[in-house]
Amino acid sequence: MNSNQFYSVFSLIFMASFTVSVLGQEITGLSIMQLVDDAQRQTNNSSFNKMQLSSCKFGVASGRITCAEKPRVKSLESVAKNYGPNLKDTKSVTITIEPPSERGIGMLNFTYDEIGRDNETWLYLSAIGRVKRIASGDSDEETEPASLFGSEFTTEDTETGKLEEYSFEILDETEIAGRKVWKIEMTPNEERSKKTRYSRQIHYIDKERHVALRSEMYDRYNKEVKRLMAARVELVNEVWMARSLTMMNLVTNRLSNMAFVEIYTDVTIDDEFLTQRTLTDVAFRETELEKLRLILD
Amino acid sequence: MSSRLGRARTKTTRLYSFIFLFGVIYGQDNSNKSLDDILLDDNIDFAFDDSIFNSPFETEQESSTNDWLDNFTIKVSQQLYSQINHHRIPITPTLSIDRKRDLEINRLGTNVRYQNVFAPGWLLQASAQLRLHWAGDYQSEVENKNFEWEFRGNELFLQRSFANQTIKLGRQTVVWGETLGNSVLDVININEFRDFSIIDIEDARLNQWLLVWDFFGDDSDFSSFINFFPEFNPNPVRGSPFFFEMPFDLTEYDREGDLIFEVGTKWKRSFKGSDVSLMAAYLYENQLSFDVPSEAFKNPKPKVNDFVLFGFSVNRALGKLLLNLDIAYSHDVLLGSFNFLSNTSMNSGSSSKANRLGTSFGFEYAVNNNQNISIGIQAQKLTNIDSTPLDNFSGNERKVFGSWLARYSNAFNNGNLTVSSTLQGDLKGESLLALMDVTYNLNDKWAISTQIISISAADNSPLFLFSEDVRLGATVSFSF
Repeated sequence: MNSNQFYSVFSLIFMASFTVSVLGQEITGLSIMQLVDDAQRQTNNSSFNKMQLSSCKFGVASGRITCAEKPRVKSLESVAKNYGPNLKDTKSVTITIEPPSERGIGMLNFTYDEIGRDNETWLYLSAIGRVKRIASGDSDEETEPASLFGSEFTTEDTETGKLEEYSFEILDETEIAGRKVWKIEMTPNEERSKKTRYSRQIHYIDKERHVALRSEMYDRYNKEVKRLMAARVELVNEVWMARSLTMMNLVTNRLSNMAFVEIYTDVTIDDEFLTQRTLTDVAFRETELEKLRLILD
Repeated sequence: MSSRLGRARTKTTRLYSFIFLFGVIYGQDNSNKSLDDILLDDNIDFAFDDSIFNSPFETEQESSTNDWLDNFTIKVSQQLYSQINHHRIPITPTLSIDRKRDLEINRLGTNVRYQNVFAPGWLLQASAQLRLHWAGDYQSEVENKNFEWEFRGNELFLQRSFANQTIKLGRQTVVWGETLGNSVLDVININEFRDFSIIDIEDARLNQWLLVWDFFGDDSDFSSFINFFPEFNPNPVRGSPFFFEMPFDLTEYDREGDLIFEVGTKWKRSFKGSDVSLMAAYLYENQLSFDVPSEAFKNPKPKVNDFVLFGFSVNRALGKLLLNLDIAYSHDVLLGSFNFLSNTSMNSGSSSKANRLGTSFGFEYAVNNNQNISIGIQAQKLTNIDSTPLDNFSGNERKVFGSWLARYSNAFNNGNLTVSSTLQGDLKGESLLALMDVTYNLNDKWAISTQIISISAADNSPLFLFSEDVRLGATVSFSF
């Protein structure tokens, strides 16, 4: 897992309000998703987040989805910053704060916009005491997306950009949870099909706030395998975003909830912080994080 | 006797094959059940109630409070291990050792870790462990007590980080190399070979008094250390599985005022899809060397040996595959010090040295998000042996020798349940250790794990005294 993916999650597929109006031009699925993509980068850049990641087996009770067991909860802190041409590459680091048995486990991730260039991930396991590179190249054929901290969120669910590798179609204009939405089908092209587990995805984008309220992921047999639901859509730093995302795995009957407890953007982040040193050097990491916490307080 | 040994090995081979395959088969994802019975239609309200996730937005204020207790991480665990296969180990046609079913380990362990960034750029870190050996544990049996306890300080260091440098002074570990499990470069940290129980790697490592200096450059990093007080692998504890009675006792190294130290430096750089390291160090071999005493009733004195190591380490990520390679060239290592540690690994009275070229190659393959296969091979070769007659040695050191390791693991339910199986053997095919482990995390605090370990060894293997041993173990732990 990597912290960039967290930003990607709430940005790419689901969220963001746009100062750019799509009114006055032909509305297409691609144009809507392009705006979402731009908003994602806006929210990624120079950000510091505190998150809670909860996972459990789920069931249906009284017409509502609920945990069928006590959820396992992780508290995380993450920092991200954009680099490269047009700020389309992202470096991010995420550190586990709780539970105590996993404290200090961290991940550094470099995400490249360049087609064909693998993203790079390093994991620090405090028990092993060293940084370990993770094979997580997502541009190779048949590559399995990596799980985010063992949750139901994967790198593919949170991937950014590469919209040119998909075709889009607005299937319907309907309502969900009392909100008017565009129902957009996102289908990978032949090249992308080799790299994705999903034959298609359907997103329900809030027409007014431009937040995906629901997303459905289908496998190659056209069976819905995952569903993502958004809640707590709030205006954060002039951007509408879902602060609570829940990914349901309809095959394993388990779900993970990603709660953005605190979100800060446009903070000053030293380039040195987004290196492997942050994973291993506790004094350096905590000193820099404390600076961020104090600024935000 | 050979036919009896052959039948016994066949039995053991079947057993560890079963252990490994059971792990693989059980580890397969069998969770592809349909959830059609759970209707997910538009009529269902999917607005999740935050309360089912511990109300994260309501606990925001609480989480921001800084309690001094947050600096502590404590783990309490109770461990039981038994040798469950009653068998005999033939030593000669007329002599054999009876290996009865026996409880070997019954201990309660507490690990405490303290980590406090008490000022900007300053870190104080300490860790220690306390073990209580209950009745039945080999350590309390030896002392003929109902329980025996021991305390060990692990880490105690002060760290100062500033600009692009970090200095750490105190008791700590330094880890080198890329290959997990079979690294030839992870030479700074020495392991506590006490018994066959499975313990956390933090417990296994023996921290040493070091001064470590790290420099973080724009493109590459340097790390250097000085070890002021090199320590060595502890001798087998009387009563432990590794201990066998001999007419003499192994003694600890007596420094007698000798000033010995270790020093090393490492350069590391990350390239596109790859990390590369170069290392050089002046070290002492972790394993003490003993000569069989020439006089009766006299204990052998351990010998220490210094040598120089040059190392190269690299990894390469290729999609789901991660390749690791360590190469180490050691100058002037002591012959006979490569054997598995036990009272049986005695030298024959020589101090011959040689240069050693070691390589460790491994790969990890992520089958999917939950399943992982890793394989490592470690091989060593002596490149020049000095003029001392080789008749003093078994001859094993003249050939390529080393070990291999294969591991499969599968995690279920977001990592709550992990099943893994491991096979480890030597390159000559003389010994094989099979391990299956099932760990279940009941919640964030409680975990329970069970292991079964089987050993098969030829009579010329350093492990032959453990051949046909089967151990069953369980550990319950509580972390907070």
